[in-house]
Amino acid sequence: MSGAKKKGPAKRDAKKPVENAKRGTTAKLDKRDPRSKPEEPTHSREAVSRAIAEAVAAAPTAVRAKAKSPVKAPPAPAKEDVEAASEDESSDEPEVELDTVEAEAPNDTPDVSPPAVAERIRELEQRLDRMIDQSARTHEPRPIPPPPSSRTLPVEGEPTAFDTARELLSTDFYLRKWGRIGMRNRSEEVDDFGFDPVYEKKVQPIFDFLYDKYFRVELDGIEHVPSTGRCLLVANHSGTLPYDGVMIKVAVKREHPAKRDVRWLAEDFIFHFPFLGSFSNRVGAVRACQENAERLLRKDALVAVFPEGVKGIGKLFKERYRLQRFGRGGFIKLCLRTGTPIVPVAVIGAEEANPMIGRIEYLSKAIGVPYIPVTPTFPLLGPLGLVPAPTKWKIVFGERIDFDGYGAEAAEDEILVGRLAERVRATIQAMLDRGVGERRSIFFG
Amino acid sequence: MAASKENGEVALAETGDRSVRTARSRARVVAVTGAASFLGTNLIGLLEEDERVDRIVAVDAKAPSTAGPKTRSYEVDFTQPTTEARLAEILAAERTDTVVHLAFLSSPSHATAWAHELESVGTMHVLVAARHAQIRKFVMWSQTLLYGAHPSNPNFLSERHPLRAPAREPFFADKIEAEKEAQKFAQRSQGSVVTVLRTAPILGPTVHNYLTRYLSRRLVPTMMGFDPLLQCVHEVDAIAAFKLAIDRDVPGTFNIVGDGVLPLSTVIKLAGRIAVPIPHPIAEPVGAMAWLAQLAEAPPSFLKYLRFLCVADGQKAKTRMGFRPAYTTREALLDFTSAQRLRDVRLLQETTT
Repeated sequence: MSGAKKKGPAKRDAKKPVENAKRGTTAKLDKRDPRSKPEEPTHSREAVSRAIAEAVAAAPTAVRAKAKSPVKAPPAPAKEDVEAASEDESSDEPEVELDTVEAEAPNDTPDVSPPAVAERIRELEQRLDRMIDQSARTHEPRPIPPPPSSRTLPVEGEPTAFDTARELLSTDFYLRKWGRIGMRNRSEEVDDFGFDPVYEKKVQPIFDFLYDKYFRVELDGIEHVPSTGRCLLVANHSGTLPYDGVMIKVAVKREHPAKRDVRWLAEDFIFHFPFLGSFSNRVGAVRACQENAERLLRKDALVAVFPEGVKGIGKLFKERYRLQRFGRGGFIKLCLRTGTPIVPVAVIGAEEANPMIGRIEYLSKAIGVPYIPVTPTFPLLGPLGLVPAPTKWKIVFGERIDFDGYGAEAAEDEILVGRLAERVRATIQAMLDRGVGERRSIFFG
Repeated sequence: MAASKENGEVALAETGDRSVRTARSRARVVAVTGAASFLGTNLIGLLEEDERVDRIVAVDAKAPSTAGPKTRSYEVDFTQPTTEARLAEILAAERTDTVVHLAFLSSPSHATAWAHELESVGTMHVLVAARHAQIRKFVMWSQTLLYGAHPSNPNFLSERHPLRAPAREPFFADKIEAEKEAQKFAQRSQGSVVTVLRTAPILGPTVHNYLTRYLSRRLVPTMMGFDPLLQCVHEVDAIAAFKLAIDRDVPGTFNIVGDGVLPLSTVIKLAGRIAVPIPHPIAEPVGAMAWLAQLAEAPPSFLKYLRFLCVADGQKAKTRMGFRPAYTTREALLDFTSAQRLRDVRLLQETTT
């Protein structure tokens, strides 16, 4: 019963426009009959309107039948049929009836003779009055069947179990969840070179662990790194897997007062190695080439380069801390063209992390690496063998070298470029020698 | 007509280009080949509204849907041997001063012989006709895909970079040949302006090409362990670039790209798709089979673009052409995605009813 009560108002509201329309069409009748006022209870008002509709329906048909009856005898019983039918139907489905009546009415009006209609209407009014009295006395609201849709409509604000179930069943829900999981550790935008700050933040704990606990990195001369403007950090390269770029980046980010981001240039083969390449790209590595370096420096970035390149990574254990040839002096040309100062960097300790005994080169082309390293652990223990030894690291930043006096055209002078490259190499070699000499233990510094 | 001409004169006077004004003594007529293509129809729609253009000559196998009162359509099949004579006739009869050559395939086709006739030989036809008709300006569509995806690519390829797309793939080879033809044309006819616009892959709510089909899949194949940076240009920007090349005299080759890059994985996530990583050694044969079975939207030579960078530098177009892309790569992708979502939903309704 409470359900029925709840649905009562909604039903009445829905009916109102229909009723109003009905009242509009039969305004004359309303005026005459004081009982069919809007203040009356719902049931009687409904009854009234139903009766009125019935009257309107019946009147023209009856009149037409009457007007035609002198000419044709048979229609007389037909008239009664029509009336009865309209009565039955109207009591069941008033709205449908009204519609048909309204559609019919204009067609029939030409046949209507006014006095007959008036008489008929009055007669119907009386019947109507009787019906109203009767229904008022024996008032028993008819059970209104609940609208079929009301059961499925959710109450606003509190989702039902049904909704949850429906949501869980939809493919979109899972796609959305999947999308959220996928986007949770990446930003929607990366910079021009693919660096993703959100992703970097996610992997920062790993870097911190390596920096603090594993390699226990010690810094010297971090103040030589400028706080603003372009600068090239030139370092020795080492390690079968080059961690030095990452460690220099973490060192500057954490210990330098300006907390600058270092972009380091990685060799082709690392940059395009599956997983490793895209990973290092997201955390700030850039493929090593002149165009990229120049573009970064023109944006006043802090760039770390390893001029030894692949030869540096491929150094055997016995060659450790002996700097290889510095490419063709490309980094010097770069500095001369862009007016960039150099800060020499010596990374001590990294060259023992993965001591390489030998190199296998004849299989490497198929995998896309320049050589397959042989360390005391590597091919023996499988991928686990690539884990670096926990050596104690020291990163020394040297005094900065400026090339202001030369100018951009000096980059074409091969001999000068060679001499400057050699100078930088000698500086770093001296820093390395001093650092290695001061060190008492590989693992404890 | 007189008023519109006056407007044209004023606007050109503003640009201050002397050579343009002398050439403007006659009516401005722009011919568009490949007029019924996506770029063609949209460009014609733009030109119809431009008062400085007096007439548009639409050349394609069928008339463009945007043809208005200014447009005259000619149905020319570029794969026919008599095309050059017919085209020269049309260009001369219409007194064309600018030819915009857009008759290229935006997606790879299985009909490689036909594609070769259309793109490589077709461009030759157009250039021969253009030389005959002594047109003043030639604008051609090309793509940054032609640089090729290589591990040795710098992050941003400039226009000077050689076109190193795999030559065994007809889709690239034909377009590279067409570009070479255009360069030759530029060298031989010194008086005319030759502009080549290399667009990045075009994305947008209405465009359809191999990339939109690739991103329309529920499951998108990727190369396991590779996540290259992608770049695209919004369809509106691409069309605007052609309009700019018609309006201004900017000889040379330009990369038309949107700002910014996105990793492929982020592109797939933003498009609401699921990436299916495939190890790259087996991807090539699987891709080749999928292409033969017409299940893939591109031949296996496109797989390299899922591994390595092919991102172009749009700086030259910005400084020399004044091209300012309205959409970044990400915005273009999101615009495409919003339209694609609606398409997805309609698709679902189609299957359920």
